[in-house]
Amino acid sequence: MDMKITFSSLVMILVWFFPFRAASPERMIQIPGGPFLMGEMDKPTSSSQTVTVDEIWIDKFEVSNAEFTALFPEHTYPEGSGRHPVSLVTWEEARRYCEQIDKRLPTESEWEKAARGTDGRPYPWGNKKLRRKAHPSISGMIKRIVGFNKRDVSVYGVRDMAASVWEWTMGRSQGKRVARGGVWNHHLDYEYSRVYEFIEVAPEKAYIFLGFRCVR
Amino acid sequence: MRTLKKIGRRGFLRKFLLGAVTTIVTVLKPFSGSLYIAQARFNFWRSSEYVGKTREGRYKTFYIQYYKPFRRIERMGWRLKVRGLCEKPQEFSLEALKALPRIKQTSRIKCVECWSAKAEWEGFSLLDLEKAVQPRPEVLGVIFRCADTYVEYLSLKEMHHERTLLVHTMNQEPLSDEHGFPMRVIIPFKYGYKSPKAILEIEFVDRPKRGTWTQIGPYSTDGTILPGYDHPLDQGKKRRRIFGGEIRD
Repeated sequence: MDMKITFSSLVMILVWFFPFRAASPERMIQIPGGPFLMGEMDKPTSSSQTVTVDEIWIDKFEVSNAEFTALFPEHTYPEGSGRHPVSLVTWEEARRYCEQIDKRLPTESEWEKAARGTDGRPYPWGNKKLRRKAHPSISGMIKRIVGFNKRDVSVYGVRDMAASVWEWTMGRSQGKRVARGGVWNHHLDYEYSRVYEFIEVAPEKAYIFLGFRCVR
Repeated sequence: MRTLKKIGRRGFLRKFLLGAVTTIVTVLKPFSGSLYIAQARFNFWRSSEYVGKTREGRYKTFYIQYYKPFRRIERMGWRLKVRGLCEKPQEFSLEALKALPRIKQTSRIKCVECWSAKAEWEGFSLLDLEKAVQPRPEVLGVIFRCADTYVEYLSLKEMHHERTLLVHTMNQEPLSDEHGFPMRVIIPFKYGYKSPKAILEIEFVDRPKRGTWTQIGPYSTDGTILPGYDHPLDQGKKRRRIFGGEIRD
């Protein structure tokens, strides 16, 4: 009897543990160190340059509401959206979250290499826009679970770097912090950002379209 | 003779009923559906002139978008109804609203259809209206009901933002009918569909409600201005990048 219980418990633990680990957004992806082509390359006025970064590990997915709230319980989110990317967090809150789990925010160059690899591609998946839009006929910020778009995958396997939410980085510009990424449901506008696109945001601001991921 | 008399009565009744129905339909046709309900509840419409969507004349530099055309509002008859989850629901005249502490701001309305336009607005904060009506602790937000039957919801947090105003004055002049007379919301970090115009009623509620556009159009309930592009009408629609949130220039 004791053996059966022990065996059953073991099976249950294995069944629970492996799928959970396989789907866990805790996972990080290794981005090898070395040079890559950074910046705008697909226009005549290109401003690309070769930049070298050190090896890093980057979160495969953006930090979710549930993950963020585990460390910052005062942060609230709509019921049922625990696996949506966290947003409405300031740059400082994002930095503190990463710090508490022995990680940090990525630099712009680290973020961009994780998104495009070394060959200068403008989108994480390659050179062409995806013909199929993620959310046809939807305008404005409507979030989905992290990793929802199976096509938005970088050459290293990092997810949601052309869309989902914009992401805070360590980058600075004119007293503001630089965010990378994009959202996928503009109205009368492109649906996916190119990997070199950026926005400048005052660090004390918190927007529904702005989240983050961490590196180590 | 008997037959003729009988037919005459029936004919008279038929003609009378037909005439009555025709009269009712003719009178009420412009107010069909919910607009008719609004007409019954708010008896302050002016003349038979209608206000509606336009981009002509002076509105080439500040487009006008309404959900449905509606009859111009009579200033003297208009009262803002404030009701719902508050201790002292009441009605306010335009004069009473203009007597509230005034706040001026210059801000831009950014339409989800790409264009934007800027003006100087003057009005008051919902916080000052709340002092009179005293919303209950469970209130989460307010529902606006407008003359064009448009409905929009904004949370108290959004309404209490320092840049959110209930305005009655635009560029030192009373709001025109086209721009939302007698009162409209200005919330410059959200797309224009979150700034309802020609407001008739404010209701304090304890749960969010989807607004008109988010029910019938492809619009998110949040409405925050996203990073992308803007085509300002006052700058010749020249395309420019924006980084999300309020456009400050």
